[in-house]
Amino acid sequence: MKPSGVLMITGGIVLVMILAVSMFSPGGGAETADRAAVAERDSTACIASKEYMRSHHMKLLDQWRHDAVREGDRIHETPDGRTFEKSLNTCLSCHSQNRFFCVMCHQYANVEPTCWNCHLLPTETKE
Amino acid sequence: MKKVVMPLVIVAVLALIPYIGVEYAGLDYLFGVIMPYTAALVLLAGMLWRMIDWLRRPVPFNITSTCGQEQSLDWIRQDRIESPSKPWHAAVRVLSEVLLFRSLFRNNKAELRKGPDLVYGSHKWLWLAGLVFHWSLLLIVVRHARFFLATLPAPVAWIEHADSFLDVTVPALYMTDAIVLAAVSYLVIRRLLDAKVRIISLQTDFFPLFLITAIVLAGISMRYLTKVDIMSVKALGTGLAEFSLDAPGEIGALFYVHLFLVCSLMIYFPFSKLVHMGGIFISPTRTMLNNSRAKRHVNPWNAPVKFRTYAEYEDEYREKMKKAGIPVEKE
Ligand code: HEC
Ligand code: HEC
Ligand code: HEC
Repeated sequence: MKPSGVLMITGGIVLVMILAVSMFSPGGGAETADRAAVAERDSTACIASKEYMRSHHMKLLDQWRHDAVREGDRIHETPDGRTFEKSLNTCLSCHSQNRFFCVMCHQYANVEPTCWNCHLLPTETKE
Repeated sequence: MKKVVMPLVIVAVLALIPYIGVEYAGLDYLFGVIMPYTAALVLLAGMLWRMIDWLRRPVPFNITSTCGQEQSLDWIRQDRIESPSKPWHAAVRVLSEVLLFRSLFRNNKAELRKGPDLVYGSHKWLWLAGLVFHWSLLLIVVRHARFFLATLPAPVAWIEHADSFLDVTVPALYMTDAIVLAAVSYLVIRRLLDAKVRIISLQTDFFPLFLITAIVLAGISMRYLTKVDIMSVKALGTGLAEFSLDAPGEIGALFYVHLFLVCSLMIYFPFSKLVHMGGIFISPTRTMLNNSRAKRHVNPWNAPVKFRTYAEYEDEYREKMKKAGIPVEKE
């Protein structure tokens, strides 16, 4: 191949790469959670009804993850007006008395969520 | 077409029965406890009965099917698997049939092309779809051990991990779920689209396919879409495995649809062509040895025949034969 051809192709690849990277630049404007508002809450009720949480908590978490990471929407508002930060840590903030809260059930049902590969496992935190 | 619609209707009705029963009549106990035990009993007893019945049938001839060189002189190479002469040859043949669908691999198709040309060609799709269908179903059944056992045996855990290693969606997608759907779709479509296969297909071909599709769809829906309370499912499952009679907790109606369809399949199993699951292991054309020249196969229902050998004949008539000038073997 002629040197000019090589140059052209290299240039093309670099151009495509720059374009591709710029597409993934942060969209900006993703509001950060209003932590103060989130902090004061009633901890006697879960985010949804107990029955719903028992069977659907993984759906909720998946939705949260999508909203928070992909859409930048980090505030969850329940129908009765309470707000939560869309984070795994939110769950643990209430369910912190029993560090084995998540683990107990999962062990019983033989499920191993891969979330803990990256996220902090409640049993790994200090008392 | 009636033979397609009828099985569809039957499966739909079978799915509706537990839905109505649980949702409107509160028959959780019937569908959650009584049905599974009944179905398991019918499956077990039915399969045993079929197998024992078959094993007791006499085999009049050595009817092994072969397509290879049988055992002969030492310098002629025997095709041990196609023409088995030792039990382990036959065992390998049966197992390769069961695990790899060896004879289906030779499946070919005949097509009438333009003009009077009948064209034969290789056709591996049925083999592929059938194989992944059966293997996926096996893995799916094995994976269900997690609902029945408190601690999961390591091999089952390996299967689960391998099956969900893509780790897309929450809960993680099992590959076998997608594969079994694709394969069963192919198997149904093949029966519908190919005129030759359509004409030889019966209701009893469509019904198991539709039933299994319905079971798979209900299961997939429970796992990925409309969730049910797995904790109660597990409690029920471990209960059943310990022969407990405790009532199930609150579980969604979809679970009972899934369970009832599985029970229907289990009950249907021994009385339908699905018994091939057991039959393939004892099928005489596959398990017998092609040694009819080395070893005499006696038809067990032969009436005892009084034989007279030539030697005896000659002994009696030797003198007369000699007089008549007929050659004799023994002087
Ligand atoms: C505001 C505090 C709070 C937060 C935040 C919270 N929970 Fe809960 N959760 C509760 C309470 C309180 C209960 C018990 C409800 C009851 O008994 O009626 C509960 C119950 C549950 C249950 C049912 C437990 C059982 O034994 O049946 C699950 C599952 C659950 N939560 C999961 C989660 C997950 C997952 C998150 C994070 C997405 C979360 N919770 C966040 C307070 C909270
Ligand atoms: C009431 C028992 C229970 C509690 C408490 C519970 N889980 Fe679960 N969780 C389950 C069950 C059962 C499943 C499996 C559902 C299935 O297989 O469809 C599951 C599945 C999941 C999954 C999906 C993983 C997968 O691949 O199946 C995630 C993520 C998850 N739980 C997160 C959490 C977190 C985080 C907590 C603690 C805040 C928690 N769970 C507490 C019972 C529970
Ligand atoms: C490969 C590592 C990895 C795995 C596995 C993983 N996460 Fe995450 N997750 C991250 C990272 C990194 C972030 C931080 C992104 C951010 O904050 O912008 C994050 C953020 C989140 C958030 C957003 C809010 C926050 O900061 O906590 C949620 C909710 C979440 N993950 C849930 C889950 C759930 C549920 C699972 C399991 C089904 C899971 N994640 C598995 C890496 C992972």
